[in-house]
Amino acid sequence: MRDELPIRKIIHVDMDAFYASVEQLDNPELIGKPIAVGGGGKRGVISAASYEARKFGVKSAMAGNLAIKLCPELIFVNHHFERYTEISKQIRRIFYDYTDLVEPLSLDEAYLDVTENKKGNPSASLIAKEIRTRIFNEVGLTASAGISINKFIAKIASDYNKPNGQKTVNPEEVIPFLEALEIRKFYGIGKVTAEKMYQKGIFTGLDLKQKSLDYLEKNFGKSGHLYYYIVRGIHNSEVKPNRIRKSLAAERTFNENLSSEIFMLEKLDHIAEEVTKRLSKSNVAGKTVTLKIKYSDFTLQTRSKTLPYYIKDKNIILETAKDLLYQEKLNNSVRLLGISLSNLNTENKPKKEDDKSVSVQLKFEF
Amino acid sequence: MKFIVSSTYLLKQLQVLGGVINNSNTLPILDNFLFELDHDKLIISASDLETTMASTLDVESESEGSVAIPARLLLDTLKTFPEQPLTFVVEENNTVEISSNHGKYALAYADGNEFPKAVALEDPSKTVITGDILATAISKTIFAAGNDDLRPVMSGVFFQFSTEGLTFVATDAHKLVKYTREDVKASQVAEFIMPKKPLNLLKGILGGSEEDVTIEYNDSNAKFTFENSELICRLIDGKYPNYEAVIPKENPNKLAINRNQFLNSVRRVSIFSNKTTHQIRLKIAGAELNISAEDIDYSNKAEERLTCDYQGDDMQIGFNSRFLTEMLTNLSSDDVQLEMSMPNRAGILTPVDGLNEGEQVTMLVMPVMLNN
Repeated sequence: MRDELPIRKIIHVDMDAFYASVEQLDNPELIGKPIAVGGGGKRGVISAASYEARKFGVKSAMAGNLAIKLCPELIFVNHHFERYTEISKQIRRIFYDYTDLVEPLSLDEAYLDVTENKKGNPSASLIAKEIRTRIFNEVGLTASAGISINKFIAKIASDYNKPNGQKTVNPEEVIPFLEALEIRKFYGIGKVTAEKMYQKGIFTGLDLKQKSLDYLEKNFGKSGHLYYYIVRGIHNSEVKPNRIRKSLAAERTFNENLSSEIFMLEKLDHIAEEVTKRLSKSNVAGKTVTLKIKYSDFTLQTRSKTLPYYIKDKNIILETAKDLLYQEKLNNSVRLLGISLSNLNTENKPKKEDDKSVSVQLKFEF
Repeated sequence: MKFIVSSTYLLKQLQVLGGVINNSNTLPILDNFLFELDHDKLIISASDLETTMASTLDVESESEGSVAIPARLLLDTLKTFPEQPLTFVVEENNTVEISSNHGKYALAYADGNEFPKAVALEDPSKTVITGDILATAISKTIFAAGNDDLRPVMSGVFFQFSTEGLTFVATDAHKLVKYTREDVKASQVAEFIMPKKPLNLLKGILGGSEEDVTIEYNDSNAKFTFENSELICRLIDGKYPNYEAVIPKENPNKLAINRNQFLNSVRRVSIFSNKTTHQIRLKIAGAELNISAEDIDYSNKAEERLTCDYQGDDMQIGFNSRFLTEMLTNLSSDDVQLEMSMPNRAGILTPVDGLNEGEQVTMLVMPVMLNN
């Protein structure tokens, strides 16, 4: 855990009053008015409140009847979860333009690891800015972002300039930032733990840092261990993309450029082997086989074929790839070949069908 | 018009001809048999416009004439008679009177000229084949033909005649049968697609017959002449799929097994298969063939192991058990060979023994892809 890892660039993107903003987006009459999503019933609890409503002290998880006392003008609207999911997907698609390492926490927030990103942009702050701009332009909602070296600090930072703002905690600022941080803002420290900390004289990160690992473990159990390291800026939890895999590939660059298909067959065999291994590791099968050919002049060509059924058998993948290779004459000598399988059986599959085996009766290709 | 004919002799011919008549006809005249009398020759015809069949009967008569007599009524009446001579007399009042030993029966008839004429084949080619060989060729192939209206060519049997031999092919895109006779040759190359209905009639009539059948054909029609009958039918128009291209050339995995054992196992195991896919799984390793099926919806499951003679890599392949059953049932050999290349390529089923000289049967079945 304490191995020196290269400094990571993590962005935490948090939509501002997401449910309420979506409602305002879809129903312009509500713009600028204090609204609460949910909580309209007798004992209802508010899921989200617009910033106009928050000014009156209306918060999420507050009982509706209490909120109306605080803000008599408050407008209650019903949930539209499908709509939130739809917009959330739209936002995630923007994230995926920058990195595949996206860990959604809920519909309205996600961690992004942009240490290596698709745009080749070294500045996580600029990426965050760009993402927020795009969300605003493409979706019409505002988001806040926190940028730092780990998920923990990024998440705290995203709250700093909310709404519609962002905060970067640079690597050299991490320690002072944490030392100055109020203990109740630490991730995983709720009311009860905070109370306990207060009793032990711990009010800020600096106070926490004075305590030994033993002491923290004795008083807070396993979490104590986490607190000890977190306050030192060590939080190695990775951004875990739990997104559905869309394709699976293997490729190989050759030591020497190959000019004849005959030499490539053997290579394809190895690549198909690798793809098969990865398929069985991920326990997926796919329908579309794509052959990637990079010529010696670095031009790229892809040829693909979609089969009517899911495959994961090496021979079938290899045969299909061979067909694709011979489908057309090569333009040049080849420096790289790759096989990828997409249209995976993980996509768009209702949960219920998961265990069911799908079988396809094949036909002659007349 | 008057003639005398044996009741059972007439019934036998009419029952064969009755197979041509559709249950419901848009053209009412097609519900009739056409009787054309020329002294002691009586030609009886039945037609559905696509297929017309005619038989010539020897009768006692000195007159001529042509009438269309309701088929159903006539057949129902004849069925009840024991063997006896029947006298048919066409009366002036538009009825045919039949006199039997028991009494008299009058049927309204239509003018024979209303009955559609069978086409005459122009410029036909000709091949002669033994009746039983043709019947065998039909019964070996016809079960594999399809029913898809969108692909009418596949709803028939493809006749491929050449100087090397005769080939008959049927497929519904899932299974395919190719039946070849190298011992019967045509004088020139010809290809045509025969619809199922006339083939089923021919199969019924010609089974076991040692008589020769003369097949005449051109681009649009074919005519089969045998004994006292002829059958003329319209061919299916279109190009037959290039079936040779789908027969896998290299099949390194070869399984030889007792046909009955295999068939019985497939039948038993398939009872436990999914009711819509009928999918069974063959798992072959070493000298063991493992046949299994599973219906996840009902938690039904079956598995059998058979000893077989196997050369090739261990493999798993899924098939629709109904196709396998149909094919194995259609064969009559003691042992069969199943050749395979990959789980997504057709399996080739052939009989190991029991074939006549010059006879070849190749059956193809496309697998079901297993995805679990």
